Amino acid sequence: MTVRNTLRDHGQRFRPRMASLNKAEKVILEMQDPKTGVKSQPQRLVITTIPHAITGEDIIAWLVERFQIDRQEAGNLGSMLVALGYVYPLQEHKRLVIKPDQSLYRFQTPYFWPTQQWPVEDTDYAIYLAKRNIRKKGILELHEQEQYNRLHKWMNHKWDFIVMQAKEQYRAAKERKKPDRVVFECQERAYWVVHRPPPGAVSGMDYGLDRRMDPNADEPKTPDFYGRITIFTQQSIMRPRVKSSVSIGAMVKHCSTYARHDPFLSKCLPSNPWLTDDAAYWTLNTPSVETPTRMRVERWTLSFGELLSDPGGRNDFRLFLKKEFSGENLAFWESCEDLKWGAAATMREKAEQIYKTFLARGAPRWINIDGSTMEVTVKGLKHPHRYVLDAAQTHIYMLMKKDSYGRYMKSPVFKDTLKKATCPEEHRFSLAQLEHNAKNRRPSLSPIALRRLEQEQKAKMAANVDITQLCRFTTPVPHLAVYSGIPDFPFADTSPSHPSLAHTPACPSPISVALESSSASERRAEAGLGEGEGNPAVQAPAGGNASKSRVAMSLRRLLKRGCTSSSMFASLSPKCHSAAGTSSRIRPLSPAQPGPAPPRRITNFFQIKVDIPPECRIYPIESEDEEQEEEHRASFRGGVGAKEIICPWESLNPQG
Amino acid sequence: MKRWRCSVDELAARRRQQGECERAQEALSRVTSCFQQLLTSLGSSADCSFLRDDMDEMRVLAHRICHGLSQRLVHLLSDCYPLGVEDRQVLERLWVLFLSALENFLSDLHKARHLIERFPLNQHYQRRSLVNTGCIDGLVGVAARVASVQAPWLTLEEKPSPGLVNQITGLDVMLTEMQLRVPVAFWSVEATQAAWAEVHGEVDEPDDSLEDLMEAEVVSNNKEAACFQLPCCGLGCQVEEGPRKTKKMLKKHRSKDK
Repeated sequence: MTVRNTLRDHGQRFRPRMASLNKAEKVILEMQDPKTGVKSQPQRLVITTIPHAITGEDIIAWLVERFQIDRQEAGNLGSMLVALGYVYPLQEHKRLVIKPDQSLYRFQTPYFWPTQQWPVEDTDYAIYLAKRNIRKKGILELHEQEQYNRLHKWMNHKWDFIVMQAKEQYRAAKERKKPDRVVFECQERAYWVVHRPPPGAVSGMDYGLDRRMDPNADEPKTPDFYGRITIFTQQSIMRPRVKSSVSIGAMVKHCSTYARHDPFLSKCLPSNPWLTDDAAYWTLNTPSVETPTRMRVERWTLSFGELLSDPGGRNDFRLFLKKEFSGENLAFWESCEDLKWGAAATMREKAEQIYKTFLARGAPRWINIDGSTMEVTVKGLKHPHRYVLDAAQTHIYMLMKKDSYGRYMKSPVFKDTLKKATCPEEHRFSLAQLEHNAKNRRPSLSPIALRRLEQEQKAKMAANVDITQLCRFTTPVPHLAVYSGIPDFPFADTSPSHPSLAHTPACPSPISVALESSSASERRAEAGLGEGEGNPAVQAPAGGNASKSRVAMSLRRLLKRGCTSSSMFASLSPKCHSAAGTSSRIRPLSPAQPGPAPPRRITNFFQIKVDIPPECRIYPIESEDEEQEEEHRASFRGGVGAKEIICPWESLNPQG
Repeated sequence: MKRWRCSVDELAARRRQQGECERAQEALSRVTSCFQQLLTSLGSSADCSFLRDDMDEMRVLAHRICHGLSQRLVHLLSDCYPLGVEDRQVLERLWVLFLSALENFLSDLHKARHLIERFPLNQHYQRRSLVNTGCIDGLVGVAARVASVQAPWLTLEEKPSPGLVNQITGLDVMLTEMQLRVPVAFWSVEATQAAWAEVHGEVDEPDDSLEDLMEAEVVSNNKEAACFQLPCCGLGCQVEEGPRKTKKMLKKHRSKDK
């Protein structure tokens, strides 16, 4: 018995409307007319004749006549009628198509017509199988046997009823005359071929998931209903309008670009799994496959969005950026995505980390965004929410799109990928092979397993990042590590704050660690000054030690002054170019002064004094006491991110 | 002593009632399956007013069986009766079987109502739109099969027969009431037969009317023809022991005829 919970039935049990059923019924009834309907003939069996058999040819001719359509269309319409179950074939009962020849069909009785009002019950199917079992002495088809066993297990509590009913129905059917009995059995069999199709076939009545509301019922015209219609029309009016030439042009362009990549419009190599039941296409196109297919790589050339949205494309792009030492753009973009789509609980911390890693002055992976965007972003970060980094993210996205993307397309990385891309051969399956495929359909990897693999990969990538760039400021948190990406800037603890001047890929963001060794000693010398170590001197490769001390001095002065101007930053950024060459030989150093970034500052991080304009502070929550700052700096060598950010452009200060 | 005798009487009464319920269940099965056979002809070229009258009779009969059975089952399973574990199991099984049968019957009734609305036979021209399904029978045999059904309370109680719509609502209400009133865990009921057991149950002559139209048709054809020629024999043939007896009786009758 069904578990009819009459008290709390909120279930989704309405089936989507199949308007075709009503129309098909009308057509079928028209076919019955003795004068204008389809010609019927008796079917001759050995011992008897059964009337009302019709040939496929007659059906198609009638449809052509009635609807004034061509033969192929009529064939499709006829096949639809057969697939739904209004007409069933007498020969080859499992193939539900209309054959335009002398093969025989018969109309299905209205009791067995497909309907949406009542679902097809498994109980009835069980009774049918039991009856068939009795009649054929246990010789059922393979899928029927499987279904039988399954139903016996799941309907065990009413199995006695099922068997009893099957026996009674069997005996009742025997009371009929032989020809009628034959007809009835044909009808029943045809009904179950439609509603419980053999493997490899799809039921014509398959409609997907159930709905909560009954689409066949009329919606009552309540004020609520009219309210909804009003809102809908208001919103339609408010939508911005575009000239049709423009929109049509865009649509044409889109179609012509994507036509070859659309599995409906063009062939899917090697073959469409939905048609041939061969999953090669999916295995060749998994997100983390080694060698992507040529079609996939072609897609990356279509637009930057395509490249980024494909995980394989993104990986390739990341590789390219790594070679160009401008990976922080992509890393920032990815971290913004993570913030936007991530869980609300960790949002605050994430925003914080992103700021510290990418946006703060002297951040380890500093991205170059213009001043107004930075201002807006920093202001927004006081009260962080999901979309607080939207402006910055858009800026970086456009940057990557206009600049890196073009270079990527011409780069050896991409050319290499293109060369290695596979182009699978098209499958050519015979009918027997198709059936074999259908029988051997296996479910793919469960999404839970896939997600686990994804997490493991992410963790692996994160682990890679951590080893080579242990930044004192950025406490290695997993989510951060993910979008830190591949370590393209080696980090040493000795240089805790290396602002990454990643304005252009040519400009290496990491500070030259080659200068580390020398700077370390220097820093130790300057330790007493409470100077932030930091070795920003990418720009002064030749300067060597001298410049470094100058840098250190100037920074102190800078910090004492307690203000920087964005214009200064801007003016200094072009200078990065000169330092391009040296950084390529940067190697990561092991951290000389390991120390975890103390979390002290974090509590104060967002207690912002609103009146203080951001330009006058390195960090929004700078304490006004400079002595205190220096003291802090002294006590925390590696310090908290706030203090020890060194601005590399300092070397080009007027002092130098 | 007296108490012991009383309890024995009680036990006997209960056993008797259980037996009644089981027989009623089988009767219900028979009536509903015959009802379904008739239902398959609704809307087809074999549809006629006689068919519908037969259907009405059957459904009224089924209705009465249902009512009686439900009353008795509720009475037996309600808490006033102290039941042993085995008794309770048997009754629960009967309960589950009855509810399943009732649901099945209800779905058939819904379909019947829908089809009768769809294919009204009041006017003669409406016969033109009946579907030509190839069936031409008047289903006499099936109706006859039902006529032999007996249930102990059928003769006792005479209730007014409800119309189709009322019957549907009435049975619906009864179903929900029963489910609410007596808490039976239907998943605890187990089948008494193993899977594939029914294959060996019905001993019958080979009956592959679809696949092997050639063979064995002669035998069954004769049998059926004989059945219809001898209505009395037909009635008498409605024995549950199986068609072997039927065959024997038929042979006897045929020889007698000849």
